[in-house]
Amino acid sequence: MTAAIQPRTRGAPTKGRAEAVAGYLFIAVPMVMFLVLNVGSIFYALYISLWKWNLRSGPVSFMGLDNYTKAINDPVFQTAIKNSVYYAVVWVPLTMAIGLFLAVIVNQKIRGKTFFRAAFYFPAIASSAAITTLWIFIMAPDGIFNQLRGGFGLNPLFSLLGFTPAQNWIGDQATALNSIIILNAWTTSGTFMLFYLASLQSISHEVYEAAAVDGANAWQNFWRITFPLLRPGHYFVATVAVIGALQLFDQALIGGGVNGDPNNALMTMVLYLYNAAFKQFNFSFAAAIGIILFVVIFTATLVQRRLFGTAPAW
Amino acid sequence: MTSTAQPIRADAAITVAPVGDHGWRWRLRLAYVLLIGYAILMFVPFAWSLITSFKTLPDSVRMTVVPDPFTLQGWDYAITKLTPPMPVLFLNSAIIAGIVTVTNLVLGSLAGYAFARLRFPGRELLFLVVLATLMIPDQLRLVPVYLILNGIGLTRGLGQYVGVILVIAISGTSIFLLRQYFLSIPKDLEEAARIDGAGFFTTFVRVMLPLATPALSAVAILTFQGTWNGFFWPLILLQDQSHYTLPIGLLFFRTAGGFATNYPPLMATVVMATLPILVLYLFFQRYFVEGIAASGVKG
Repeated sequence: MTAAIQPRTRGAPTKGRAEAVAGYLFIAVPMVMFLVLNVGSIFYALYISLWKWNLRSGPVSFMGLDNYTKAINDPVFQTAIKNSVYYAVVWVPLTMAIGLFLAVIVNQKIRGKTFFRAAFYFPAIASSAAITTLWIFIMAPDGIFNQLRGGFGLNPLFSLLGFTPAQNWIGDQATALNSIIILNAWTTSGTFMLFYLASLQSISHEVYEAAAVDGANAWQNFWRITFPLLRPGHYFVATVAVIGALQLFDQALIGGGVNGDPNNALMTMVLYLYNAAFKQFNFSFAAAIGIILFVVIFTATLVQRRLFGTAPAW
Repeated sequence: MTSTAQPIRADAAITVAPVGDHGWRWRLRLAYVLLIGYAILMFVPFAWSLITSFKTLPDSVRMTVVPDPFTLQGWDYAITKLTPPMPVLFLNSAIIAGIVTVTNLVLGSLAGYAFARLRFPGRELLFLVVLATLMIPDQLRLVPVYLILNGIGLTRGLGQYVGVILVIAISGTSIFLLRQYFLSIPKDLEEAARIDGAGFFTTFVRVMLPLATPALSAVAILTFQGTWNGFFWPLILLQDQSHYTLPIGLLFFRTAGGFATNYPPLMATVVMATLPILVLYLFFQRYFVEGIAASGVKG
């Protein structure tokens, strides 16, 4: 035994060192990039946000927390927060519900489930720019949506709700954000369906068999077994959804331009940041908005974890 | 399409509907009609953009399925008269997405393998850094990353391509997905190669990479799709019109110039922005679905 151990203890440090060197080499490029462009950039952003900043020469004068107080007191930023939160509050449950509904259906023993799964995920593959451009075309005053509802004789119903036959869905303050909500619920529900499908697979058949013995119907099965047992899935999807919702940007910029028109209806937190950086060229102000945004997202994630994450499944 | 091979059995249906319910067969048919209807609804807007791209401008706002007259004017306009022209946008998108896919595969598999298999001090801590990058919102990085790249001249001229590629050259998701896959491969083969005297790099290239083909395919597909569709970093870092990618070109057409309501060329550009991903999806649907599900399991 001692003879066998002898060569190993002598050889181990060099072999271990070679392995460590290989390890560091293999991860070197990504780690340097992450440290500079990710983790390091947080500290850089914090630093920039405290200074009056010139694009060419860098820091000009120390501002302290002025950028932060200026942002918080700006009515446009308050509107941006309100819009982002409204979007999250409406879009997240709506899209989760559609995603869960589709997942439960595709998880049944039905014919062609691979086809249905592929079809329901399909809207998620396109770029936000392409799909938003397409959506604006469809929802335009003379677009196919207004013509379709007219063709189906639904205009009396829509006029009851206060919409004219040529309603400008994305260009009207009252309907702009809701139009984006519907667009993104349509495109993202397929992704949430896939998340839920992965989660559904972890529920064992025995639970349903036991329920079948007790005479439970499909409705009871869903609400008493599937829905509660999907708790980790709900938590994961909700976390991803809220983080994504608070970062709403592409559709807002394409739909409403850099000012979130009409009348700030599409102004979101990220659009406000983009506007500060690339319309006003106020980089330190934009950096402060980025920090605020990060704090908001982080807090939302922690609150969700406290509310849903660590509690025992019921 | 595996499920089409197995017809619905009576016992399978019983789990859905209680025994003795005479309406269940009828309700099942109704369910299929609704499902197929909803599935078709998913494709209608894309079909509409394709149809519109072959219409004339006056015809484009009419609710007709067949273009009357059928014309290639929209495509001609998009290809020759838009500034920047669609082929330039297409090429920019293809170059950036192609390079970023390759860098993610190379850097991601090396790092994923190291984090999964090689032992070195600080490995767990460094892996936490990788996971942390997934939680840092891009918007927080906008100003510092822009200022860093601007400072080293990567926001001008050809440097714009380099800048945008650098920022997305490697994602934490790629490393994470590949590490998880390498962890699932049994150690025997690798050890056999080591005993034969192969070094770490040789073992990685000759033994581990071929075994990781499914994970590499998923990362390639997801990265290509994500980069092709990418909006935020190209928007920030590609300042010259001649460097725009398709999504940024679409934004530009929508917000500047008189193209916003010239629907046929606009829809032709939408089709071109979607078509390559659509083709990938038709052939590699499995990788899309599995990749998304796998990146979802990390939580």
